[in-house]
Amino acid sequence: MAPTDDRPEHERFSVSRRDFLKTAGVGSLATAVTAAGAAEAEAQTGAKVVGPGDVPVSLMVNGKRVDLQIEPRVTLLDALRNRADLTGNKRVCDRGTCGACTMIVDGRTLYACSTLAIDVQGKPIRTVDGLATGNTLHPVQQAFADHDSLMCGFCTPGFVVATVALLEKYPNPTRDQARHELDGNICRCGTFVRIMEAALATKGVTRG
Amino acid sequence: MKAFAYVNPTTEQEAVAALKTDGVAMPLGGGQDLLARLKDYIDTPDRLVNVKNALDATVTATPDGGLTIGAAVRIADLAAHAQVAKLYPAISAAAIEIGTPQIRHVGTVGGNVNQRPRCWYFRNEEFVCFKKGGSRCFAVTGENQFHAIFGNEGPSHIVHPSSLAVPFTAYGATFRVLGPNGPRNVPAAEYFTRPTIQNVLKENVLGDEELLTHVVLPAPGNVKSGHYEVRYKQSHDWPLAFTTVVLTMNGNTIQSARVVLGAVAPVPWRSPEAERALVGQPLNEQTAALAGDAAVQTAKPMSGNAYKVQIAKTAVKRAIMNAAGIKTV
Amino acid sequence: MAEFQGRGGQAPPNPELADLAKRYAWPEKPALISTRVKRLDGPDKVSGRAKYTYDINRPGMIYGKIVRSPHPHARIVSIDMSAAEKSPGFKTALSYKEAGAVVMYQGDPVAAVAADTEEHALDAARLVRVRYEQLPHFANVDQAMAQNAPVVFPGGNTKVGAAEEQGNLDEGFKQAAQIVEATYSTHVITHVCLETHGTVCEWDGDKLTAWVSTQAVHGTKDGFVKGLDIPAANVRVITQYMGGGFGSKFSPDAQGLICAKLAKQAQRPVKLMLDRKEEHLDTGNRPSAFAHIRAGVSAEGRLTAFDAQSWGTGGAGATSGFPLPYIYDFPNRRRTHKDVYINAGQQRAMRAPGHPQGCFLTEILMDELADRVKMDPVAFRMKNLPPAAPNAAWGEYFEIGAKAFGWDKRHPTGDPTPGPIKTGFGTSAHRWGGGGRGSKAQCDISSDGSVVMKCGTQDLGTGTRTLVAIVTAETLGLPVSAVHPEIGDSIYPLSGGSGGSTTAASMTPAIRLTAGKALDALAAKVAPHLGVEASTLTASNGRVHVVGNPSKGLAWKDACKLIGTEPISVASEWAEGLSSTGTSGVQFTEVTVDIETGIVKVKRILTVQDCGLIVDRLTSESQIHGGIIGALNFALFEDRILDRNTGQMVNPNMEWYLIAGMSDIPQIDIHLVDTPVQRARGVIGIGEPPTVSTAAAIANAVRNATGVTIRSLPLQPYKILQALEEQRAGGTN
Repeated sequence: MAPTDDRPEHERFSVSRRDFLKTAGVGSLATAVTAAGAAEAEAQTGAKVVGPGDVPVSLMVNGKRVDLQIEPRVTLLDALRNRADLTGNKRVCDRGTCGACTMIVDGRTLYACSTLAIDVQGKPIRTVDGLATGNTLHPVQQAFADHDSLMCGFCTPGFVVATVALLEKYPNPTRDQARHELDGNICRCGTFVRIMEAALATKGVTRG
Repeated sequence: MKAFAYVNPTTEQEAVAALKTDGVAMPLGGGQDLLARLKDYIDTPDRLVNVKNALDATVTATPDGGLTIGAAVRIADLAAHAQVAKLYPAISAAAIEIGTPQIRHVGTVGGNVNQRPRCWYFRNEEFVCFKKGGSRCFAVTGENQFHAIFGNEGPSHIVHPSSLAVPFTAYGATFRVLGPNGPRNVPAAEYFTRPTIQNVLKENVLGDEELLTHVVLPAPGNVKSGHYEVRYKQSHDWPLAFTTVVLTMNGNTIQSARVVLGAVAPVPWRSPEAERALVGQPLNEQTAALAGDAAVQTAKPMSGNAYKVQIAKTAVKRAIMNAAGIKTV
Repeated sequence: MAEFQGRGGQAPPNPELADLAKRYAWPEKPALISTRVKRLDGPDKVSGRAKYTYDINRPGMIYGKIVRSPHPHARIVSIDMSAAEKSPGFKTALSYKEAGAVVMYQGDPVAAVAADTEEHALDAARLVRVRYEQLPHFANVDQAMAQNAPVVFPGGNTKVGAAEEQGNLDEGFKQAAQIVEATYSTHVITHVCLETHGTVCEWDGDKLTAWVSTQAVHGTKDGFVKGLDIPAANVRVITQYMGGGFGSKFSPDAQGLICAKLAKQAQRPVKLMLDRKEEHLDTGNRPSAFAHIRAGVSAEGRLTAFDAQSWGTGGAGATSGFPLPYIYDFPNRRRTHKDVYINAGQQRAMRAPGHPQGCFLTEILMDELADRVKMDPVAFRMKNLPPAAPNAAWGEYFEIGAKAFGWDKRHPTGDPTPGPIKTGFGTSAHRWGGGGRGSKAQCDISSDGSVVMKCGTQDLGTGTRTLVAIVTAETLGLPVSAVHPEIGDSIYPLSGGSGGSTTAASMTPAIRLTAGKALDALAAKVAPHLGVEASTLTASNGRVHVVGNPSKGLAWKDACKLIGTEPISVASEWAEGLSSTGTSGVQFTEVTVDIETGIVKVKRILTVQDCGLIVDRLTSESQIHGGIIGALNFALFEDRILDRNTGQMVNPNMEWYLIAGMSDIPQIDIHLVDTPVQRARGVIGIGEPPTVSTAAAIANAVRNATGVTIRSLPLQPYKILQALEEQRAGGTN
C-alpha cells in the first residue's frame, strides 16, 4: 500500500521540519542569558529570545491592527482588555474552563485567557467587539437579544462568539451539534435554554 | 505568572537548543495546561519555548501501515482525522472527549501526553507535596475522591491526566523524543513512570531538555477497538475512569487483548488480569462483565475513592461491549 | 377592589400618594405589563458595549491586589513591605490588619498593594512578606463539635438557639403509626458570580466615584461613607451593568474600602477586582445544614410529630439558620438549631437564604413517610398542607403540575425496568416572601417628547432596567422604546438593594406613581388646550386624550410641545396598593440514574410558580430558568471542599468547583401562573422562589429511580453507589 499524505484538513502551524529549511547550526551549545530582566539573547541556532520585559506585539483584531508594548506573559485576553480597551470579552475563571473569554483566532475558538498575546501575532483575531456592523447586530447577537438568551450578560460575549463559530461550522446544527460546540461555555444565571433556542433559530450566518 | 522570556524556533533542533538555559525553560504547545500552572505558580520558568512552529503538526502514514502523529497536531485535528478514526478508533474516541472545543482547537498531542496531574494538592500553591519537592502526599489522609485506585504504593497517588496516553498505550505506540544528544524512541508503556521517591517530581521519562516530537503507531492489525469514558459532569469534566481495549480476534473468540485504564493510576494502567479474562473467550456481554470484575481485583482504593472501583469495572466492561458493537447505555 | 395580603403594621400613606396609588392602580387590561418585552440592555450586552466594573479603564488607572492569609487560623507576626516596595511599577501599599491581629480563614485580607500594571501588582503582592503563627483550626463541623475540641472561637465554637416548639411531641409520636428517623444535610456552596467582586475607585479631591460590581448602589454608597468616614455628598457609586450577585454583593466589602484607600494614597484611579480564588474564599457562601430528624405519620397519612436537632456552619463566627420543618403541617413539633463555627469564609445571603436547605431537609423525609403509609407523594403532600398559609396555592399547583408532568406514570420507589439506567420522578414545594417597599423615582418629560425615568436601583440581569421602562411606558401610553430608564447610580433617587426578590415590588409601584404624577403634570398643560378638565385625561397608544375618547386629544409629541422650555420633572415614591408579598410554587423532576456508575442526569423539570402581577413575562421566565438551573447545580455539582487537615480550599476555581454546562441542562417547562387572582395581588417578585425546591425534587426522583434514599447533597456518584451496595448487602436504607 502506497503511503498517503494525510495532512489534516486545517493547517495551522503546520510548518514541519521537512518544509522549513533553516541552518541547523549544530555545534557547541551556546549559553543563553535567561535571568529575569535580561536583554534579548540568542538561542543556540539563532531563534531570538525576547522579553521578559516589554516587547512589541502586533495583533490583528477585528480587522484592525493593534500595536502594543507588553511582556510576553500577558495573555491575549488581558492585552485586549487592559491595553487596548476592548472589553467585550470577559475574564471570569482565567484558567480556560468557563469560556467567557472565547475568541475566534485563525478561524477557531479558543480561550483568550489561556493564550499568550505574543503567540498569536499575525493571526486574525475576532472578538465580540467586532461582530456588529455599526449599529447592526450580527445575526447571532440579534437572536440572543430576541430570545432573551442573556441575563447579567457576563458570559454572553463568550457564548455569542462560540455560537458564531458553531453556526459558521454547522449552519443548520442539530441540537447535539449545538450542545457539543457550546459545552466550553458556562453561565451562572442559567440562560442555557434560551441560548440553545437562539442558536437553533439563527439563520444567515456566513463565515466572517 | 512570573515574567518569562519567549522564543519562537522554527525547527526541532532549534527548539531543543532553546530549552537549554541557565534558568528554567519549558516548551509551550497549546498552553492549556502550562499557562494555568504558571498562573498558579506551580511552575515559574524563566523562558517559554514555543514549539508549535518547530514540531511536526502532520499525521503521516508510515511504510508499515501505521501512522506517525506529530506532537504539534491539534487535538481537534486528531479527532477529525479520517485515517486515525479508521485505524485507531479509540484514539479518535478519546480525542473528541478531551476538554471542550476551545481546548481541542489549540491543545496539542504532545501537550496532552506531557500534561501534569490535576490533583488539587499539586495545583494549589499552599500544598507543598512530594511533586513540588515537599515530603508528603496530602491525598493520603485528605480529600482523595479523585485519586488513584491502582498503583497506590506511593509516594504519589495522582491519576495520570492524559486522555490520549491510554489509547496510545493500548495500540502499542512509541514516542519519539529528541534531546541535545539526538533522538530516541520510548515505547508508550515505558514512557510514563510509576512514582518513586527518586522520580516523583515528574510523571514520565522526558528530560528537561528533551521534546516529544512524534507518536509513532504501529499498524493496528485486524483488531476490534473499544473505548468508554465515565465522567460526572457531561459538558466538561475530567473522567472518573476510562478504558481502551484493543482485541485481536479469531472469529468471535478473543485471541489477544490489551486493556488499558485511565484516570485510575499514576500511569495509564494496563490490566493483565482483564486481558487474561478475555483471551480465549467469546466477545459478548458476559465476557465483558467478567473482564471488568477481573480488572479491579487488584484495586487498592484510598479512604475516599472506593466508589471508583465500581466505575472502573464499568468502564472496562463497557469498553469491551463497545468493541463488540453492543449498545452500552 | 383588589384583595390581597399585604405587609402589616405600616403607617398610612400620605394623601397625595394614596390618591396616586388609587388612580394609578395597575390597569385592568395592560398594553405592555405581563407581555413579553425584550430586555432593553440586550443589544449592549450581546455587542460587548456594556461596561461592567471589570471593564472600566480610567485615565491613569493603576491596579490593586490584596494579600491574604493562606492559613485558616493564625496570628500575624509581622508584615514586611520592603521587597514589594522595590518591585517594578510599585505605586503604594497599605496594611489592612496589623501585627498581632488574628486571621480567621484562608483568604482573610491582610494587606494590599497597587502598581502600574496588573502583572506588576501581582508581582508586588507576592513580595509582601507576612509571617504567621499558625493556630488550631476547624475544617468541618465535626471537628468543631468534637468532644475535646480546642476553643478556637472566643465565646465558644458553637451557639445554640432557643428551641421552637408547638403542640405535644409525646402525644404526636403516640399517634404515629410509622416513624422515620434519619439525618439529612446540605453542603456549603459559593456564589460564583461570573464577574468577581471589585471596584474602580477614583478621587477628585475629596470626592469619590466608585464603580462597583454591586446589587445595592445606595447601600454600597452608605458602606463607603461609613467605612471611610466621609460625607455622603462626597460619594457616588455607579453600577450600570454587573455580572451577577446572587446575594453576595451588598456592600463595598474589604476590597472596596482598600481600593478607595489605595486610590487616595496613590492619587490615581485604582482598579481592584478579585480573582476567582479570592472570590471562592472571601465573598460569602450558603451555609451548610444538617438535621437529625425523627418524624411520625398516622396510618391515614397525616403528619403527627416532628423532632429535629439541626446544625450547620456559616464559617468563622457566622450564623447558619434555616426554616424547619418546611411548609408541611406537623401539629406537634420541636426544633433546636446550633450554629457551628469553622475557619472558613463567612456566609452571605445566597438566593433564597435558608429555604433550599429547609426544603431539602423536609422534602426527602416527606417521600420516606409517604412510602411508609403507601401513599403517592403528591397526594401525601396535599393531605398535609398547612391550613393557614396566606396566598399559598400548593394544592392547586400540585394538581396542575402533576397533570402537565404526567405524574400518573410514576412507578413506586425503585424503577423495575431491567438494565443499568433507572428512571424516576420526584416532587417538592416551596414558598417565598418577596414584596418590597420604599423606592423613590424621578421622571422628566421634555418638550421634544422624550421621557427619562430615574431610579437608584440596579439590574443584576434580573431585567430591572426593562421593568422601569415597561411601567413608565404603560403609564404614559408609549412604546417601551420611547422611554429612557436611568438606573445604577447613587445620584438617582433612593432604592433598596436587590435582595429578597424585593426589587420589582418596591420599585415598580414607585415608577408607576412617578410616571402617573408626571402624566398628571402633562395633563394639566394639555387640558386647557382641549378645553377639558385635566382629571378627564389619560394616555394610551401614543396619545394624551379624554378617557374613552381617543380622538379628543393630542399625539404625544404634540402634547409635549405644550410643556415649554422647562421640562416636567416630578418625584414620587412607593405606596401601598400595587404590591404584596408571598409566592408559592411546586416542581417536578424526571431523572435517570446509571446504577453501574452512580451518575445522575436530570431529564426534565416542570414548575408551577406564581409571582403576583407579572411585569415582563419574558424576563420572568428567564429568572425561573435561572433559579432552577442554579438549584440543579446545588443538587448535583457544586461543592466548596476544604482539606480536612489543613482547612484550605482544594477547589477554588471553576475546574473542580463544578457548574453545569449546556450538556447538563434538562428540558424545563414553566407554568407561570397568570390569573385574575394573581394579577390582583400586585407585583411580588420572582428571583428566588424558583431556586428553592429543585434540589429536593431531584433527590426524590433519584430515590424513586434507584430505591435508595440519598439524604445529603450533592448527589455524587459515590453516595449512590455506596447506598446501592448497602442495599444489596441486605441493609435497610
